Amino acid sequence: MKNLLRDIRRSPRFMTGFLIFLFILLVSILYPLLSPGDPLAMIGRGTFAAPGTYVSLYDATSAKTETLLLPDADDKRLAAAMSDADRAAMINYFTLSGVAIDDLDPQDTDRMIELWQEIFDENNMPKMTNAQRRDFRNLDKRLKELQASDTLYVMDMGEDGEYEQRGSVSKTDYVNASAVANAKTLLLGTDNFGRDTLRELIYATGTSLLVGLVAGIVATLIGLSLGLLAGYMGGIADDVIMFVTNLFTVIPGFVLLILISSSVSQDMRGPSLVAVIIGLTSWPWTTRSVRAQVVSLRNRDHVNLSKLSGHSMLRIVLSDILPYVASYVVMAFILQVSSGILAEAQLSMLGLGPKTTTTPTLGLMMNWAMLYSAHTNGSWWAYFPVILTITLISFSLNLMNTGLDQVFNPTLRD
Amino acid sequence: MKKKTLALLLALVMALSLLAGCGGDSNTPSTPDTPPAETQTPDTPDTPPAEPEAPAEPTAPGGDLPRNETLYFGGQQWGEVNSWNPVGANQNNAMAIASSAAGSRTVMFETLYMYNFLTGEMVPLLADGDYSWNAEKTELTVKINPAAKWSDGAAVTANDVKRTFDVGLEIGNPSTFHPYISEIAVTSDTELVIKANLDNLNPFMLEDFLSGQYIAQAAWIDTCLARNNNDAQGFLNDKGEDAPYTGPYGPYYSDDQKVVFVRNDSYWGQDASMWGKLPIPKYIAHTIYADNAASEVAFKAGEIDVNQQFIPNIQDLWEKDGLPISTFYDHAPYGVCATMPTAWFNMNMPVIAENPALRKAIAIAVDYDQIIANAMTNQSPSFSEVPRSVMNPTAGEQALYDHDAVKDLQWAGNDVEGAKALLDEAGIVDNDGDGWREWNGEKISLQAVCPQGWTDWNASMEIVAAAGQNIGVDITTYFPPADTYYPTVLTSPTQTEGAIFMWSPPAAAPSSPWARVNALMGKDYVGMENNWSGNFGQYVNDEADALIKKIPTMTDEAEIKAAYTELTRIYLTDVPSFSLMYRPDKFHSVNESVWTNFPNESNGIPPLDCTDGYGIAALYELELA
Repeated sequence: MKNLLRDIRRSPRFMTGFLIFLFILLVSILYPLLSPGDPLAMIGRGTFAAPGTYVSLYDATSAKTETLLLPDADDKRLAAAMSDADRAAMINYFTLSGVAIDDLDPQDTDRMIELWQEIFDENNMPKMTNAQRRDFRNLDKRLKELQASDTLYVMDMGEDGEYEQRGSVSKTDYVNASAVANAKTLLLGTDNFGRDTLRELIYATGTSLLVGLVAGIVATLIGLSLGLLAGYMGGIADDVIMFVTNLFTVIPGFVLLILISSSVSQDMRGPSLVAVIIGLTSWPWTTRSVRAQVVSLRNRDHVNLSKLSGHSMLRIVLSDILPYVASYVVMAFILQVSSGILAEAQLSMLGLGPKTTTTPTLGLMMNWAMLYSAHTNGSWWAYFPVILTITLISFSLNLMNTGLDQVFNPTLRD
Repeated sequence: MKKKTLALLLALVMALSLLAGCGGDSNTPSTPDTPPAETQTPDTPDTPPAEPEAPAEPTAPGGDLPRNETLYFGGQQWGEVNSWNPVGANQNNAMAIASSAAGSRTVMFETLYMYNFLTGEMVPLLADGDYSWNAEKTELTVKINPAAKWSDGAAVTANDVKRTFDVGLEIGNPSTFHPYISEIAVTSDTELVIKANLDNLNPFMLEDFLSGQYIAQAAWIDTCLARNNNDAQGFLNDKGEDAPYTGPYGPYYSDDQKVVFVRNDSYWGQDASMWGKLPIPKYIAHTIYADNAASEVAFKAGEIDVNQQFIPNIQDLWEKDGLPISTFYDHAPYGVCATMPTAWFNMNMPVIAENPALRKAIAIAVDYDQIIANAMTNQSPSFSEVPRSVMNPTAGEQALYDHDAVKDLQWAGNDVEGAKALLDEAGIVDNDGDGWREWNGEKISLQAVCPQGWTDWNASMEIVAAAGQNIGVDITTYFPPADTYYPTVLTSPTQTEGAIFMWSPPAAAPSSPWARVNALMGKDYVGMENNWSGNFGQYVNDEADALIKKIPTMTDEAEIKAAYTELTRIYLTDVPSFSLMYRPDKFHSVNESVWTNFPNESNGIPPLDCTDGYGIAALYELELA
């Protein structure tokens, strides 16, 4: 046993997988303890706020400012309002309006803006599509903002309806982000409901691990006991068990899963019930492989000796056969956990996973991200971390599995 | 030997599970080093192909259509077209057969008038000039445009209108108009009188008939009846592929990939008394996409010109992606909101029916700003901008009730404390300390239901459920497929499946807002089987019903306004349902990479998919971009 554990520890593959898995597991356990709160709280109004630190503008106006004279500030401000594409659009507008622009340099900002102010007329644009008209109007608005004076004023409307100046903001005013009373860092932004994606992801990972674990235990227990029985007893019992197992093997497991899940009312469908359902539909291959191993074990000398000594069947199975298949069962269990997590994600994507309002799950997060076109509108933070997490969990489990395989299986040893 | 086989088998099992487990294991034996298959595509320039010139050969049905003569639609047709029968049942032919008083789709079949919900006007289509009422508003006279012709060349007559109406009764399939119309009398070939049912007098519904009823050819109806041996089901299910039509487009090609209509170049509407010209696109086509996502991708790629589909954050398409896509308004809410998707309370469930306080508590606790910002991505005005009532946000309807009189009853939402106080006061409290409130000793457990995949609605129901969590009422969401939702929840008068469920009351039609009030609280719909019309929650209020019955006969404007105000008061007090957002009748976004001059704020054509009601005028104004 000691040697075995040492071998396992020395397997780089197993250890890599184990460490990844341990990290994910620890984060999903510790984060909720360190930072409690509702993972489904909709903190954002609006969809898919990008990752980053959000500083309260309201508080920033009253925070202590420093004057910084940055040489490229004006250039940056200009670039944000007037990109190269905008310059090209302006040139296009001049052309459409029939203005001679042969000597106009698109990079000559002053000339460009001057000419624009002269030519552009919102109510009398040359023939173009509505979309172009709108884009030119928006460009005009941005250019006008560029012309704003150096100092903006913060006003408060008092009870008498009069505006009262509360502060002013000049172009050279800067605020230290930590000096603002309210700032929030959203490492993974928000999802379509305005929820903190990172928090949701960690809670969902916890749910998925739980689902995978329960599903793995259920599937392995069923698979193992049926496999042991069929393999050891042989004869009619073997035929009956294998008949049932073969039946389950030919029915696509996922279809069965969908049918059972949709017949359970959503009210009842908590994560553990879904896990049990997944476990109940994914045991057949464990049974088949365990049985095959047991069949080859049952005529070994030590088993026959036990039989002759009059040991009960239960004792023979548990003490003479189980230890020989144990290593295999551990590996099968790991694979079952991994496939259980994937099955939950697939089910949730179809809307058949755990009920939706109370528990975040990885599948549901992807489902909503897809419904709100996160994949086409560039909101990668809403779905990519989820995919990455699922992949990492599966990857780590499979890595542990192959690592164990190398230790247990002499023919694979280096 | 045995061992080896076992090992091999195990290895195989492992390999298979590895593959199934999608893990990126580095140990998986790599495939032999085959060079990647070289793609043998000829060197095509990266520039998009030049605009197709007019084809030398005529386009074959089912073949490629010339892009600059074809207007592509999206978001309407989701399966192979099953019928062309304008008076049949169970059609899914969304591009050809979609009638509603708010705007019938008159691409192929036409109505007497087209409704313009921006102005409230009825524009004659098959009719000639304005219709006229008699003094008592019980008879409505319509003239038929003498220029109007069927696609087989026959003239459209008053008898076609009569026959279309009568055949519904004859085969036992009355339309929504039959209870209100006693008879259509033909006075000449081009003139008819629609007589109201005096026992159920409702001039609104007669006007709805004008814009909501397709006219079919009398001779064809007889042919169709005859070939089905006068069997009602046979007639309703007849595919009607030979049905003559009056509209500018006829069937060209359809399969499970697309449906294409071709312009009828002898369309009667090019007569000076109607449009004076033919619609611009020669073909109109609708590709059948798998789902919203596929359709959205096609729209962005310019494969769809006019899209009737909710696209979250539509402004990103031009602000971020720089696509030539535009909407009716340049700014939020981007479209003209004409209806309000509503959450209906199911009065079949005692806990809901007997507790107005519970209904109101849920309704005031819901965070509508969140729904509008997240579910609708701000494509709707908020309830602080347009306070809730039974009216849609258009100015005409908003003027029809006294805002100050119901001010105290209106709520903007997210009032969790108020909701809790209401429930506490009504004695609906949490006695067993599990965090959920009980009624009559039982935990209140409600299901919020709407069809799966209807993104904005699904998200709204999630936000309603979240409001439930906040006030200690257990609400869970359930999104069955639409085909399951319709019979088991929406149209079933006895269901107890959905405690809160979603549907929209009628949008802007000649009969609105009366039709909407009737749909929200009208008693006539209670207990009706296969009810698609209104009062899905089976709410009964005799006081409200009496007022609803009376309004159509009122003539004094002050009296009408008082009645609508009173109905708003009842609606906001009793809360039989609550609106979640405002929403356009049809979503309207267009990709201008091929066509331009679509309906927009400045040209006055309503944004109804370029095909519905007066929205079809857009087809005559299009230009190549």
